[in-house]
Amino acid sequence: MLDFGAVSLEWGTLLTQAIVFLLLLLAVRKFAMGPIVGMMEKRRQHIANEISSAEQGRKEAEALLAEQRRVLDEARAESKAIIDRAAKQASDEASKIVAEAQAASERMKADASAELAREVEKAKLELREQMTSLSVLLASKIIEKELDEAAQKSTVDKFLAQVGDRL
Amino acid sequence: MHYSLRFEWLGMVFDISTILMILVTSLVVLFMCIGMTRKLTSATPGGTQNVMEWIVDFVTGITKSYITPKKAAGFVSLALTLFLYIFLGNQLGLLFNVNTAHHNSHGQEVSQGFIDMLTVSTSNEMKQQKLEKVTEELNSTDPHAHGVVISWWKSPTATPSVTFALALIVLLYSHYLGIKKSFGGWLKHTFLNPIHILEEFIIKPLTLPLRLFGNIFAGEVLIAFLLSVGIFGSIPLFIWLGYSVFVGSVQAFIFTTLAMVYLSQQVNEDH
Repeated sequence: MLDFGAVSLEWGTLLTQAIVFLLLLLAVRKFAMGPIVGMMEKRRQHIANEISSAEQGRKEAEALLAEQRRVLDEARAESKAIIDRAAKQASDEASKIVAEAQAASERMKADASAELAREVEKAKLELREQMTSLSVLLASKIIEKELDEAAQKSTVDKFLAQVGDRL
Repeated sequence: MHYSLRFEWLGMVFDISTILMILVTSLVVLFMCIGMTRKLTSATPGGTQNVMEWIVDFVTGITKSYITPKKAAGFVSLALTLFLYIFLGNQLGLLFNVNTAHHNSHGQEVSQGFIDMLTVSTSNEMKQQKLEKVTEELNSTDPHAHGVVISWWKSPTATPSVTFALALIVLLYSHYLGIKKSFGGWLKHTFLNPIHILEEFIIKPLTLPLRLFGNIFAGEVLIAFLLSVGIFGSIPLFIWLGYSVFVGSVQAFIFTTLAMVYLSQQVNEDH
């Protein structure tokens, strides 16, 4: 023991303090640090879990987004193809209809002109036949009147020539 | 001057009021630790847990800034206990005083055993000196004298025995770790350089405890003085008490930091 009156160093107090402090250290280690370290370790794990699950969620979301984008692009391309095809089909149809109509009208026009030509021939033929019969009739009438074939021949020929020119 | 009661046992002297304060401070630290860690949660922490976590983070920070991160975890308990014990010990002495006054004037004699406990000393000469002083104060007829005043409540850290005990634990532990790591290295580091011998066996064991003891003891002496001045001392006392809270916190921090520094010198790979 060192003694300076007001201040002294006592071995007994010192030893008591040392023992009490060591006991306190053990108690703090057991009752405070143990739970705190355990809690902090649990929190560390919790945070690590949260981070990894968030990371995983982010990755999943990204994958889903990419998938969605791909599907959307596909759908867009498909719809474009469908519209294109439909437009092409429609224009094809239209030109086909137009062509058919043109062909039909051409045919009808041709038919009509052929018919007309035929009718004209028929009319010519009929007219010629009638003319012939009329001529014969006329001739017979003339012959009946004056049988001067020689005299009338020029008249008939002239007539026939005139008729033939008109036809 | 305030006295304390001492007794001798197994050739060692024990100071009763200091030991009482050691026990009180230890119990306060212990109950605080248990109380604050009773309802721990790893989710969002509540009030007391925040305080405890802040303290633990603070102490861990001190530990980790000196001791290599790999080994730092093993020293957090020591640093936490040191810090809490010294911090609370420093502040406890500021809370209030418990003094008892003893004198012989009312026809009631103080027992011989009591006087013996007041005058425990290393030498008979010293004992005689103390006895004279104690007898004089006990029999004083001055109406302003209080007789022998025994202080029962004070900071345990205002006693050199306490601070030396704490410092010796830290220093002995540091040497134990140094020897355990490498006996040859410890020998070389400690004894090869005379400066190191001086440092390890005189400077460190004296400065570490005396810094803490000096600060707190001086604070308590000034508080006792300002209390004895009376009404004029009240404003300086108020200021000084505030400053003492600051000093007590700083000294707890310094002691813990130096303890970790001294331990790190023996534990870390590079010196």
